[in-house]
Amino acid sequence: MQANRLLAALPRKSYRDLLPGLAAVTLEFGDVLYEPGARIRDVYFPGRSVVSLLTVVDGHSELEVGLVGCEGMVGIPLALGVDVSPVRALVQGGGAAMQMSAAGFRQAFNASAPLRHGLHRYAHGLMAQITQTAACNRFHRVEARLARWLLMTRDRVGSDQFRLTQEFLSHMLGVRRVGVTHAASDLQRRRLIEYERGNIRLVDAAGLEAAACSCYALVRQRADKRRGASVRKRTYGRRQ
Amino acid sequence: MPLGMAVYESGGAQGFVYFPIDSIVSLLYVLEDGASTEIAVTGNEGLVGISLFMGGETTPSRAVVQSGGQGYRVRGAVLRKLFESSGEVQHLLLRFTQALITQMTQTAVCNRHHAVDQQLCRWLLLMLDRVSSNEVRMTQELIANMLGVRREGVTEAAGKLQAEGLIEYQRGRITVLDRPQLEARVCECYGVVKKEYDRLLSWIAPQGGASN
Repeated sequence: MQANRLLAALPRKSYRDLLPGLAAVTLEFGDVLYEPGARIRDVYFPGRSVVSLLTVVDGHSELEVGLVGCEGMVGIPLALGVDVSPVRALVQGGGAAMQMSAAGFRQAFNASAPLRHGLHRYAHGLMAQITQTAACNRFHRVEARLARWLLMTRDRVGSDQFRLTQEFLSHMLGVRRVGVTHAASDLQRRRLIEYERGNIRLVDAAGLEAAACSCYALVRQRADKRRGASVRKRTYGRRQ
Repeated sequence: MPLGMAVYESGGAQGFVYFPIDSIVSLLYVLEDGASTEIAVTGNEGLVGISLFMGGETTPSRAVVQSGGQGYRVRGAVLRKLFESSGEVQHLLLRFTQALITQMTQTAVCNRHHAVDQQLCRWLLLMLDRVSSNEVRMTQELIANMLGVRREGVTEAAGKLQAEGLIEYQRGRITVLDRPQLEARVCECYGVVKKEYDRLLSWIAPQGGASN
């Protein structure tokens, strides 16, 4: 099982204190964890699962503004003292996660400085991701954005193969289905991906990286740097 | 804080946190080819430089003064200390951070889904809420950089709003003539962000200054 890296980076004691409140759950593809404007009941630390943060606009169109996998937590508003989610959180890669109640989380968060630091740092990274997405949506072509999105998903799922529908992709990228079909067949023609009946396989990851806009490499570099920094800064023992 | 001053550059380390009083700071994302787009604006409701207490060190955006005026600045180390030692300060700064996230998120969506004239309405309203006057000093070229569109796009959108009697545009100055109409015209993004700011930062008096 792939562990959540935020939890794995905690000092042993902090992690042990957290354990009683954590429940191992399986998130299913298509599950909605939060609706915009609704109270947050639980937070989730994804293991193999991947969760999309979507903003709903004009009552129907959706757009993905962030992607959370094993590097993060779903429920960041709680770490910032706010108990309502502004976004819809949708499971787009089924798999394992650790779940914790909002009340349990609040208590653990107040008691553990390492957890607070880790989550604030992660929230800052998530803001970088949102920033990048806003700019990317404005300037980059849909093929390049699709390539970026597939790579980001792969990094979080930890696999070259995952399930996806075109309708789902159209929400993620904020374009019409026709646009997605076009972009996907373009990537397929270039032998970068194989797409069949809702299953997507990345055939040539290096080629896909070349086809993606620079946003992918930038977000990734920053995340690596952040992780490097957090490893260096750790002063006490490490779990594992 | 004079117009055009770079409060910090993307990727650069920050030494200070800035609290605008009557100035407005724009957070811009600049692409490798120089194209830019505004991600959020901050006036006297907030601060610029959250990386310093969030622990992210550097930031992908560039912060530029968009409307000159006064502001306080506090050394990063001082604020960080306060953030760690005072629950109240921490609470306040983090709530502002969540409000800022909402603004960024909504901008991402607005960039994707809404017409330039609606985005211009949103941008003007966000500015008006922070300048306490009905006038915004700004060239079309700068607005184009903010919205991440070509200048002609801004000229066309501003022309439309002017023809409808909502604004008056002359030489680097936009005067809003009919704010209610502007609010009727804007996309939902303005309302979503405003509501969230009002809710999350409700303890802040309209003229700035946190109530104790």
